[in-house]
Amino acid sequence: MKKPILNNVAFLWCLGALALILSVMVLPAVAAAVVDVKVAPDLLTDGLYDDGEKYDGWEEAEREVADPLEPLNRAVFVFNDKLYFWVLKPVRNGYSAVLPKDVRVCLENFFDNLASPVVLVNTLLQGRFDDAGTVLSRFGINTVLGVYGLADPAATEFSLYPPSADFGQTLGRYGMGEGVYLYWPLFGPSNVRDSIGRFADTAAHPLAYSGLNSAERTGYSGANLINSLSLSPNEYEEMKKYSLDPYVAVRQGYHEYRNARIKGKGWESEK
Amino acid sequence: MMKNILAISLILLCFGIFRVPLGQADEGPTAQLKPTLKSLTDVLADESLKGDAHRAERRTRIKEAIKAVFDFREMSRRILGRTWNEIQAEEQKQFTDQMIKLLENIYIGKLEGYSGQQIEYIEERIKGNRALVSTTVTDNGVKVPVNYILNLVGEKWLVYDINIEGVSLVGNYREQFKSILRKDKFAGLLKVLEEKNRSFETGTTK
Repeated sequence: MKKPILNNVAFLWCLGALALILSVMVLPAVAAAVVDVKVAPDLLTDGLYDDGEKYDGWEEAEREVADPLEPLNRAVFVFNDKLYFWVLKPVRNGYSAVLPKDVRVCLENFFDNLASPVVLVNTLLQGRFDDAGTVLSRFGINTVLGVYGLADPAATEFSLYPPSADFGQTLGRYGMGEGVYLYWPLFGPSNVRDSIGRFADTAAHPLAYSGLNSAERTGYSGANLINSLSLSPNEYEEMKKYSLDPYVAVRQGYHEYRNARIKGKGWESEK
Repeated sequence: MMKNILAISLILLCFGIFRVPLGQADEGPTAQLKPTLKSLTDVLADESLKGDAHRAERRTRIKEAIKAVFDFREMSRRILGRTWNEIQAEEQKQFTDQMIKLLENIYIGKLEGYSGQQIEYIEERIKGNRALVSTTVTDNGVKVPVNYILNLVGEKWLVYDINIEGVSLVGNYREQFKSILRKDKFAGLLKVLEEKNRSFETGTTK
């Protein structure tokens, strides 16, 4: 679930401004959105599991994803599948063959480091001040000692591991519902809330202020995408291999994964 | 003298008190899950079982380990939901058998990519005859939360769901099967499942 970047500049600015206004408006409510992420989750009291002998109640509960656009989404799913096998996979394989893994890991560090401002804003909006401090320290250490973020001495030398936060998650923590499920060309699974989140995060990304033209920014995003793909190569194919209806598997997985990230409570992976 | 006797009896008392919960913990969900998960990772870390020559033996050992830890019937029941109560006992068995195969195939596939990832046990919660064992698996420096949901069957705690980063295995298959059941009913679902499992045997899965 990496964050690729969109390129419709004017639209992004509008959404960015919107996000900014929204975030200023909701700032006083920050305290309400604080979620403790360090505790292990209590699944047994979770509605999804606390069903005792009744199996029917489970069916309609939180599991259902609103997907009125299913026929369209499924068409895009087929498109992305072809895109993966015919374009992305061959490109990724060529890329992996040319660049050694060490170099690709360095590039990943660089991309992640440059996205720090986005994570910082979101940790602040979510009231995760410890994490915000970690993001700042990591950015400082890695930019200076890690040569523009190519290495990650913050993690290897100072045990400061990267927190993650995005604006879709922030909106969710402020109580916004996910809206209908959307499956985007290239980017894949999302929903109304997370799509707004992605636009806002893209607008907040330093790339938007870098003075690069849109072709150059597309290049950057493409390189980021292929580089990420090359580091976790088989995810998509594995998912397909073990699913009987891959479309539903992705939809359900995405829904639960995002909900868990919004709930916090020890759900998130930590580096 | 009196003091010593008092001290000794106090120590004995303490032992007596502590022994009971310790004894119970031995039978607890984590205590039962740990050795099985360890035997799974041991099989994969076992140098003498490496390579294609020992593939069959490795699979047999993984299958045995999985059988000892999962409650496949409970898992199948929860995956099918309402449909479970509507089908015949014979069909329930057919479905459960296919789910066992599918789970074995998933585990074999996933575990063969295993390269010494460490499992860390965070905590366990027990509520009636159900339990949660929270673990993290460290992979490439990333700690992934993996939660096991267990059911008490007689004396044994058996896993019926695995939840990774918030994504439930049972929930995921449940939703996939629901869309198949809606269109093709139980017979259709069983056919799709059988085909899926056959594809692992013939190695034609993409």
